[in-house]
Amino acid sequence: MRIAITGGKGGTGKSTIATAIAVKLAQKNKVLLVDADVDCPDDHLLLSITLEKTGNVEKPFPLIDKNKCISCGKCSKVCKPNALVHITGKPPLLAEALCTGCMACQIVCPVEAITRAKRHMGKIKEGKGHGLDLLTGEMEPNEKESAAIVTDLKKIIQEKEADYDFVIIDTAAGSHCPVIIAILDCDLALAVTEPTPLGAHDLKVILETMKAIKVNGKIILNKAGIADHAEIKRIAEKYEIQLIAEIPYSKEIINKYSKGEPIEHDSINKVTDFLETIMEGTQ
Amino acid sequence: MKINVLSGKGGVGKSTVASSLASILSKKQQIIAVDCDVDTPNLGIFFGLHEQDFNKKEVKTSEKAVLIPEKCTNCKKCVDACMFSAISWENKPVFNRFLCEGCGACQLVCPENAIKLIEVKNGWVGHASARGLTVVGGQLKPGEAESGVVVMLVKQHAEKIALEQSIKTMIIDSAAGIGCPVIASITGSDYVIAVTEPTPPALTDLKRALTVVEHFGIPYGIVINKYDLNPQMTNKIEKLAVTKNVEIIGKLPYDKAFIDALVQLKPVVDHEKRFEPMFQEMLEKIPK
Repeated sequence: MRIAITGGKGGTGKSTIATAIAVKLAQKNKVLLVDADVDCPDDHLLLSITLEKTGNVEKPFPLIDKNKCISCGKCSKVCKPNALVHITGKPPLLAEALCTGCMACQIVCPVEAITRAKRHMGKIKEGKGHGLDLLTGEMEPNEKESAAIVTDLKKIIQEKEADYDFVIIDTAAGSHCPVIIAILDCDLALAVTEPTPLGAHDLKVILETMKAIKVNGKIILNKAGIADHAEIKRIAEKYEIQLIAEIPYSKEIINKYSKGEPIEHDSINKVTDFLETIMEGTQ
Repeated sequence: MKINVLSGKGGVGKSTVASSLASILSKKQQIIAVDCDVDTPNLGIFFGLHEQDFNKKEVKTSEKAVLIPEKCTNCKKCVDACMFSAISWENKPVFNRFLCEGCGACQLVCPENAIKLIEVKNGWVGHASARGLTVVGGQLKPGEAESGVVVMLVKQHAEKIALEQSIKTMIIDSAAGIGCPVIASITGSDYVIAVTEPTPPALTDLKRALTVVEHFGIPYGIVINKYDLNPQMTNKIEKLAVTKNVEIIGKLPYDKAFIDALVQLKPVVDHEKRFEPMFQEMLEKIPK
């Protein structure tokens, strides 16, 4: 069973809860925890797991053979992000930062002057601890196509999935492509929120996103007690999405967080019991 | 002057810092607060603004490939041409619109003209006024891609208003992470405020974010939020600043007033005056 932990707003506790749930589930099940926040992967820190690099993520980009190029300008015409600039009588100029690696240029080049080169843009890392396997994607700083790394992670998940009872995917903040790709095809997405106006606003955004990509969701309220959460309850009712657990704000949880230890709490057990029940139902 | 607030890790206090700095500045001069988090825009909330308060215009920045089934001859060329794994093969090409980048490679290889590109409404950009300042922002439509492009349009919109009204100062609030929307947000900024908190994840993510800031050669300072939660980690951040020869331009305590202010939809400096000197000091430390 594939479960995404998401939430929209940053810092609501996605990673804290993803790691806690994964550790608890791993007591009875085979669990793969996937850190799909490839901009800022932190799950290994929260679990004090040492990661080893097991792969590279590469992105294609065009290599232009200046001797073959006839300066026809066709490549720059099809380049949607305007990464290839046509200069009359000369080979095109590539602004690498704008290139998404779609290779449309190679397709239209009439003289085969464009070949496909590869650029390193991120790493795949793996580790073990607390009875679970951790798979992490890490984008190199200054790269920007986070989505490409998440796409690679999803391919790895597909290959490995049969070996696990639960795959827990911890997503980035926000609701853009790397988050959408992480949630896509999941059996369930848990939206972690907090009882503030920002938590409420961003919860609506992520619930709308889940609706758009047709993934079922549940809500987890973290930091319960720091402010009134009537609004979160109202949103849960409006979207008809169950609020399955409330995790209190406590100094103990913060301490474990900064020490790199998974948090334990009755409310976490409530979530894992819920997930195990669904799992039994599907078997 | 364009001051950009970022952090790498989410939820460490970017919008808290940006909203208070904007509020203080707006008492002396005309300013624009720019919300470059178009996934989950929050800056307006600190000024009591809701989506319906914004003067919005729709943006269409990308396209998606769609199949014209009656023309398709199942040659599979599109599947091989797609670099984004957006076309799968299930006895016919199946297009996943959430993975499609709209690059048009599939259309170019299709020998039957069986693929067309359709325009997508990605979201909106707009502006609103509240408490003596202008907030410019935007939002990506749920499920849509291209937040980097929407961020660029938000910034263009802010530039246009700045030019029309001769506004010289902008406070720009970035999204979490270090990917395309953040890079789109920091380009062209004069100064970056990197907000962090004394936890191992926040520090690790700060370092990643600073790599990006340094790549763009933008001068920056660091703000430690909730500095009193973990003195040891705060010390580590201070050491990092020394090694990098950059200034810690501010330290904010852990205080329930930050949440109370937020609940009342106010920047913390408008909620309790005692916070004003802390933010005033940050502004004074930013090189003119």
